[in-house]
Amino acid sequence: MKRAGFYLLLALVALYCLGPFLWQLITSLKPAAELTHLPPLLPAPPTGTHYVAIFEGYPFLRIIANSAIVAAASTLLALAVGSLAAFALAQLRMRGTMVLLTFALGISMFPPIATVSPLYLLIRAAHMRDTLWALIMTYTTFALPLAIWVLTSFFRGIPREIYLAARVDGCTALQAFYKVILPLAAPGLAATGILVFIFAWNEFLYALTFTATTASRTIPVGIALFPGLHEVPWGEIAAASVVVTIPVVVLAFAFQRRIVEGLTAGAVKG
Amino acid sequence: MGRLVSIPSTWELLVRDSRPALFVLPAGLIIGAITVYPILYVLWLSLHERLLIGNVSRFIGLENFARLWNDARFWNALGNTLYFTSVSVALEVVLGLAIAMLLHRAFKGKGFMRAIVLIPWAIPTVVAAKMWEWMYNGDFGVFNYLLGAHINWLGSAAWALNAAIFLDVWKTTPFVALLLMAGLHTIPKELYQAAKVDGASPWVTFLRVTLPLLRPLLLVVLIFRTIDAFRVFDTIYVLTGGGPGNTTETLSIYAYKVLFQTLQFGYGSTLAVTVFFLVGLITLVYVRALRAGTT
Amino acid sequence: MGNKHLHNGLLAFIVAGCMAVAGCTKEPPPDPNTITITFKHSKLFGDPAALQTLIKEFEREHQGIVFHTSKEPGIRVKDETLPSSSDEQHQFYVINLEAGSSDFDVFAIDVIWVAEFAKAGWLRDLSKLLPAQDREEFFRGPVEAVTLDDRVYAIPWFIDAGVLYYRKDLLAKYGGVPPPRTWGKLVRIAADIPKHDIWQGKQYEGLVCNVLEYLWSSGGAVLEDGKVVIDSPENREALKVMVDLVRTYRVTPDLVTTLTEEPSREIFGRGKAIFMRNWPYAWRLLEQDGSPVKGKVGMTVLPHFPKHPSAATLGGWQLAVNKNSKHPEAAEQFVAFMTSAKAQKHLGLTVGFQPTRKALYEDAKLLAAQPALAELYKIFQRARPRPVSPYYVLLSQAMQSEFSAALAGVKTPEEALSALQSQMEQILKRHK
Repeated sequence: MKRAGFYLLLALVALYCLGPFLWQLITSLKPAAELTHLPPLLPAPPTGTHYVAIFEGYPFLRIIANSAIVAAASTLLALAVGSLAAFALAQLRMRGTMVLLTFALGISMFPPIATVSPLYLLIRAAHMRDTLWALIMTYTTFALPLAIWVLTSFFRGIPREIYLAARVDGCTALQAFYKVILPLAAPGLAATGILVFIFAWNEFLYALTFTATTASRTIPVGIALFPGLHEVPWGEIAAASVVVTIPVVVLAFAFQRRIVEGLTAGAVKG
Repeated sequence: MGRLVSIPSTWELLVRDSRPALFVLPAGLIIGAITVYPILYVLWLSLHERLLIGNVSRFIGLENFARLWNDARFWNALGNTLYFTSVSVALEVVLGLAIAMLLHRAFKGKGFMRAIVLIPWAIPTVVAAKMWEWMYNGDFGVFNYLLGAHINWLGSAAWALNAAIFLDVWKTTPFVALLLMAGLHTIPKELYQAAKVDGASPWVTFLRVTLPLLRPLLLVVLIFRTIDAFRVFDTIYVLTGGGPGNTTETLSIYAYKVLFQTLQFGYGSTLAVTVFFLVGLITLVYVRALRAGTT
Repeated sequence: MGNKHLHNGLLAFIVAGCMAVAGCTKEPPPDPNTITITFKHSKLFGDPAALQTLIKEFEREHQGIVFHTSKEPGIRVKDETLPSSSDEQHQFYVINLEAGSSDFDVFAIDVIWVAEFAKAGWLRDLSKLLPAQDREEFFRGPVEAVTLDDRVYAIPWFIDAGVLYYRKDLLAKYGGVPPPRTWGKLVRIAADIPKHDIWQGKQYEGLVCNVLEYLWSSGGAVLEDGKVVIDSPENREALKVMVDLVRTYRVTPDLVTTLTEEPSREIFGRGKAIFMRNWPYAWRLLEQDGSPVKGKVGMTVLPHFPKHPSAATLGGWQLAVNKNSKHPEAAEQFVAFMTSAKAQKHLGLTVGFQPTRKALYEDAKLLAAQPALAELYKIFQRARPRPVSPYYVLLSQAMQSEFSAALAGVKTPEEALSALQSQMEQILKRHK
């Protein structure tokens, strides 16, 4: 009985999360003429024309690749740089930790809309306009505060004795960091990584401003390019959003698996 | 693992020797290189009358802030922003915690459920907003169809801001849930077993064990959700553009209109700086709470 | 992406940091070979080949010509699309032009941005491309909109104006009445049948276009000799009629406060409405195969209030040259080519552009492809530009807020217009 209630709750959560996505999927399979009709709820018969349309005569694959590169590179950079900083703040008992953390946080308090103009001047000065680097650097920077904060909070959960023991065993601080502490913080790293990845995958405002051609355009901008002057091809937008959601889900799925079992952090603490 | 008995002070010295500052340096350099200039630029502009049309540019000190004080549209936007932030963040944290606890239990298909929970977060905001606009459609939208109602979700003063909140809650609850799930993993199972042995009810266990141990992470989540919600832009921009009659105009939307539609870079920057200070103020309160919790 | 790229990227990044500190920006040396000019515009609906054909033709025509700014003869044109959302384009242009960017040379701008961009000093003076004697060849509205202090800052590329769509079959059934000439008649027919009257009521620029058509056709105005006259009895009456369409007569559904062009077109296209105010683009979509209302749609001038002429809001896109363009001569030639009768006709035939040159409305081939042009000619000729002012965007922001507040019932029409009057006066005072 209790078990059934639990699975009912799970089903509710799944429906809540999936509902709008499923509706998008259904929309993407509806023929153009049926899009603005309700009922019928389901397309009869479903059509793949919208999917064909987004790949035909439109460099959608290239745009997806751009997004993947930008998001992956930003994630790696933010994790590498962020975990170093978080390690120092949490484990090395650095002085002025709170000041640094607050400063890092401060930069994420400006509305992006206000910083886009001056940032554009920087990007242009560096000749990085319309390159993936412009986005990677920007996303890494704006993801860093979140990364540092979350990672610091995870590193704090790891007893300092472990770090000190590693030092006793002859590790340098850096070795202790990546050989001992980092593996222990795996769940935190994975969670942070996913957050950064998705942030970079979804960002629109900077991408719109810093990119000009398919050389660097990312998915949100690519999708914004679908509509014509007045017309809005709903079917194609729906198809495109289904296509771009799938890789992230796969990734999340793969990522999640690895972190769950044998979580050392919990075991060590006892 | 057994406890290390005592730590000689020489080890402490060794730690100091490793110069933690070096570990922070890369992050500091990146953040400094990319953000210092833009932020100073915005602060500087906020003290200017800077109109791109007609190329006006003059220093006016705090005059823009005085104008802000008398600007009814600013107060309207501030009210909308506060309502949006408090309602959506509260809902997200409650819902996110519930989902995290639900998924924390051992069951078959756990990884699968985790991936599902992430879907809303994984859809680009701009796209998600378009999707919801589609579902909110007063004419053939699926919400009205399923509810059998004729609600003017995005076009009535009573519903529009709440409609934006629903979308934001759907979109960002996974963020909260994901972080809290990871946090739940770090709570030692022994504590729960001990609570069970003591005969504590699940509710008491939640209040006495789970909540206190999650507290630091919860505060981090609150900080980031508040900062994000307070600056909400994409969602509302796509759904309503601030309408009807400015009833969904938040500070970021207003700043956007002042900056990029009417090209008043000075006054627009003032609005941005105000958002910055307001968010800073709220965060300060949170950080205090966090500090009180850790020491 | 190899290691070398990574290296270069990092290097560029460091250099960027240094330069930002030093405050110097240096452009790469100009390409010594053939000139390349960049053309920014929103995606054209339909066949992308239409524009490419024109570009190729332009390149061919200019093969042998040597410009001051290059050693080699010829021009190459790189066209880059922008998201077609008007706001996103405006923002993109503002950020780029404000930064003094020369990344694009020729660009397409909305009719309401010309005065603003010109006043900001971002547009090259194109007066010599459109000398006074040639202006007669274009519709008056767009020419008025691209002219500031007697100088021309952009060349009209294609024209738009608000029109009334109606259902021929329903009117025939109703007793064969002609499409309504007055708003009162429109309400009566729609209420009798009963079917909706659809227009654009979301808080955005389109709302201003819609409301102005009511205000103007009641004899009202926004500005007169530089003075704000929006809070007039005529305007109050006209705005009240719009609100009543929704609240009293109920011929317009209350979801009109969410409608932009496309959702309006969808409602009308599914046969739920008898009347719709929209731009001419909708015609092609309503008449295409598979449309439920194909063959049942008529298009005419918008209604008006008794004793006043009908009014349509002018829209459309113009081509401008970036003031910082490295190749202004070549850019000007490209603008001249793209706005020529030949190019406009080509785009009219292939992607359904409405030309800005009046003579093309007598072109047999074009009329055969777009039969509606004959009716549109009359409408375009009388289309009224929104107040031509560098500060139009400021005025529009105020109008959008207050008109929307009136429609959503947040304020009465009287309250909205009186608030608007003082806001607009303040704007003009501040920018004297």
